[in-house]
Amino acid sequence: MQKQIDPRVMAELREILDPAGVVSRPGELNVYECDGWTIEKSVPQLLLRPRSTAEVSALLRVLHRHNLPFVPRGAGTGLSGGCLPLAPVMICTSRMNRILAIDARNRRIEVESGVVNLNVSAAVKGAGLFYAPDPSSQAACTIGGNIAENSGGPHTLKYGVTTNHVLGVEIVLPDGEVVELGGSIEEPCGYDLVGAVVGAEGTMGIVTRATLRLLREPETHRTLLAIFDQVEAATRAVSAIVASGIIPGAIEMIDHLIIRAVVDAFHVELPLAAGAVLIIELDGLGAGIDEQAGRVTEMVRASGASEVRLARDEAERALLWKARKRAFGAVGRLAPNYATHDGVVPRTRLPEILQRITRISQSHQLSIGNVFHAGDGNIHPIVLYDERDPDQVRRAIAAGHDILKACVELGGSLSGEHGIGVEKINQMPLVFTPEDLAAMVELRHVFDPDERSNPGKVIPQPGACVEVAAPRRQAAL
Amino acid sequence: MTAAGLPHESRLSDAFVSLLGRECVRDARADEIGVARVIVEPATIGEIAEVVQKCARDRLTLAPLGGGRILAQIRREPVSVGLALRRCARVVAYEPEDLTVAVEAGLTVGQLNELAGGKGQRLAVDPPLPERTTIGSLIAAARSGPLRLSEGTVRDLLIGIKYIGREGRVVNAGGRVVKNVTGYDLMKVMTGSYGTLGVIVEAAFKMRPVPANYTVALAGFARLEEAFDAAFRSSHGAPLLHCEIVSRRIGLALPGSPASANDRRFLLIAGLGGTRAEVDYQLTQIRGAVGTLIEALDGAAAEAVYHAIRDCPAAEATIGARIVVAPSALAGALEAAGAEFCAHAVSGIAQLFLDDVDEQAAHEAVARWRALAHRAGGHLTVVAARDSVRAGLSMFDEPGAGALALMRRLKAAFDPSNIFNPGCYVGGI
Ligand SMILES: Cc1cc2nc3c(=O)[nH]c(=O)nc-3n(C[C@H](O)[C@H](O)[C@H](O)COP(=O)(O)OP(=O)(O)OC[C@H]3O[C@@H](n4cnc5c(N)ncnc54)[C@H](O)[C@@H]3O)c2cc1C
Repeated sequence: MQKQIDPRVMAELREILDPAGVVSRPGELNVYECDGWTIEKSVPQLLLRPRSTAEVSALLRVLHRHNLPFVPRGAGTGLSGGCLPLAPVMICTSRMNRILAIDARNRRIEVESGVVNLNVSAAVKGAGLFYAPDPSSQAACTIGGNIAENSGGPHTLKYGVTTNHVLGVEIVLPDGEVVELGGSIEEPCGYDLVGAVVGAEGTMGIVTRATLRLLREPETHRTLLAIFDQVEAATRAVSAIVASGIIPGAIEMIDHLIIRAVVDAFHVELPLAAGAVLIIELDGLGAGIDEQAGRVTEMVRASGASEVRLARDEAERALLWKARKRAFGAVGRLAPNYATHDGVVPRTRLPEILQRITRISQSHQLSIGNVFHAGDGNIHPIVLYDERDPDQVRRAIAAGHDILKACVELGGSLSGEHGIGVEKINQMPLVFTPEDLAAMVELRHVFDPDERSNPGKVIPQPGACVEVAAPRRQAAL
Repeated sequence: MTAAGLPHESRLSDAFVSLLGRECVRDARADEIGVARVIVEPATIGEIAEVVQKCARDRLTLAPLGGGRILAQIRREPVSVGLALRRCARVVAYEPEDLTVAVEAGLTVGQLNELAGGKGQRLAVDPPLPERTTIGSLIAAARSGPLRLSEGTVRDLLIGIKYIGREGRVVNAGGRVVKNVTGYDLMKVMTGSYGTLGVIVEAAFKMRPVPANYTVALAGFARLEEAFDAAFRSSHGAPLLHCEIVSRRIGLALPGSPASANDRRFLLIAGLGGTRAEVDYQLTQIRGAVGTLIEALDGAAAEAVYHAIRDCPAAEATIGARIVVAPSALAGALEAAGAEFCAHAVSGIAQLFLDDVDEQAAHEAVARWRALAHRAGGHLTVVAARDSVRAGLSMFDEPGAGALALMRRLKAAFDPSNIFNPGCYVGGI
């Protein structure tokens, strides 16, 4: 049960912010009951929307004095329940959305943490630069959320995930202290605490600013669409490309279920009968790219592609990527509810994991679609269900667990990019020993000794059971 | 006098002999006396854990040695136990088709790359003298080289780690997959921790393909600023593998001493990789960016130049340091430093060094370099100081107060009995 916020504390907090910065009416708070992991819900008592680091610090000082926990929130697009309110107060960065400085020569940008991912690249496009991590949710998600989740995206195959692009952060610790970590230089002095904060899922404090690395836009692209009758053949093609030493910008896979959804939603020309398609994007110098595209085409055909198409122009390329990036949204057409999972396997094990997912789908009698970052071995099975049927909800959760267990058995891990949150917290013992988890808790305590920043996420309480058949919290049952 | 001559040293080594057997314990060699009183060479990770457990119980300080050279620079007084990991040097799993590898920490970068070369791959981190750099020290000292421009650093390629922490506890983080956000990123915490948080015993990395062709382009400049402008322009025009600028002495010492080095003070050395067509195209672009004074080397000649810049002699100098500043500020800092240097030109990082200077001149140089680093928003680490100039030098810079307080808490949490390489890291950690 959540601690009720004392009215006097409420008043202290209100005093720090302008009226628009405080949301406390139950109706309005309902919006914040979950993120993209909709299986579990819980309404916060109070939502605070500070506009500056100083306001964040002042708020956290009050919460510290009264020993109240809080949940940081960006855009709420997280998919593992990272900002599920398991604390009474939620602090949202949506009004901290300024781009503070662009340094084109050094290829750096400094932003507030509530800046939307896509706006970073948009701000530097004129200088021929871009910000590499491109989650499919990039039109909505924030840099703060990306940092917390160490988010990836299609193009992280070549360019790396968020942690490879964050040079410095300003973080407000749970006691209100503001600390600068790293900076705009390539290597920090002392321990790499920036590296500890990235991927900590909001459990070490609230990130208020970040200095990001920018990359030069590649000279040119070739975007290939390879069509396969069978999913297995598509996964073989992925392994062949990776092993060949060519590193494409992205290799994304969409299976037949999702093909149906995106064809309906975006009118892209994809054969409805196909078992799977791969979107393979090569980028780099004009001089070598056609040769590479030729080699990739050969490999893909040798693996069994029935057809390989080259995007004719920028418009066609944009359409392919739109279909890919909005595929999750299109899934809404297939079922009332869906849970997007996120697991990772060594790339050569993709054929096996997809076979296992088919079996899991059959044994739980639920449809499961796949649209994912194949080049990284990062799968995103989408389990379709109807939340009005409690039995389906239970089966959806069980199917998710089975998929993750299969990933671990194949030498993979629980999450490639969506984080542990609450969704996978109980599966952590599948990959980590109690000693491993103890060391992680010790690291968290360096920043947050009282575990007040985003409590109940990432690290399970010692002794928690590995399998939970039903959600523990107020779930959408 | 040898370390073995002291009676308490022999008691110390007896204790480890009874733990591990005689063949696993030896006296410190001459070059190790300042580092550790007794050297143990465990054969397995389990034995390393036992050594750490014993040290924790008996409050003995310890430090993993790596190649031993870095520790010899930073330690002021020896730890009780030096851990040599030379016998823990197995390849745990190499999956060329996944481009991943897991290895024990005593393996050297050179050994790993010899193996991977057979598959057209490499661990794309290139510190000086890879055949003497163990995987453990590569991570612990966050070492890097020219390839950092295109391939990133240890930080970017390390995907999993196993280390022995407090009380001999075995801790794992990450895994063997290339994309993974399961649990906190202890890999980052261990990278650059200089043995102060535990003993790294195993690591998993992403591997990279070795480019099909490699060409080195050289251009000489009379003025440093010109050289840096050319470097920035070149790296903007082409995705270079590396882009170094070296001072005259280094330039003249390059194998085959390229013609352009003779009459020019600063040499730009850019690495180009890819298909033949890509390399040729980049060469044209670089020529455009740099002007005509350019020479291109292929094959063995290119490799020889690359090895020479990678093995920058700063670590052998009387006084040597690594400066890290904003990339655009590096030229100015080097201009004022009055030192020989090898610079990762567009990364804002350089090794500075001076030879044949006395103690006072060395200390003045470090103070000057440090002031330059600070003015340019960066920091400076001393990487080499001969015995004759070492007294009283602080090797590391000081992070900001808030960050340093967190670092102290981290050290206290991971090493509550303060036995892991204590007293020589930032802020005296
Ligand atoms: C359609 C769709 C597609 C997606 N595609 C991808 C993808 O391709 N790759 C990928 O990696 N993810 C993807 N995601 C997941 C999600 O978008 C990312 O995890 C994203 O980084 C979350 O950002 P957010 O601003 O919405 O954060 P939120 O959901 O608001 O929060 C996420 C976590 O970050 C914490 N947090 C937020 N801001 C801060 C802060 N300033 N300081 C400290 N902690 C903070 C929260 O407490 C929470 O734990 C997708 C999601 C959707 C809905």
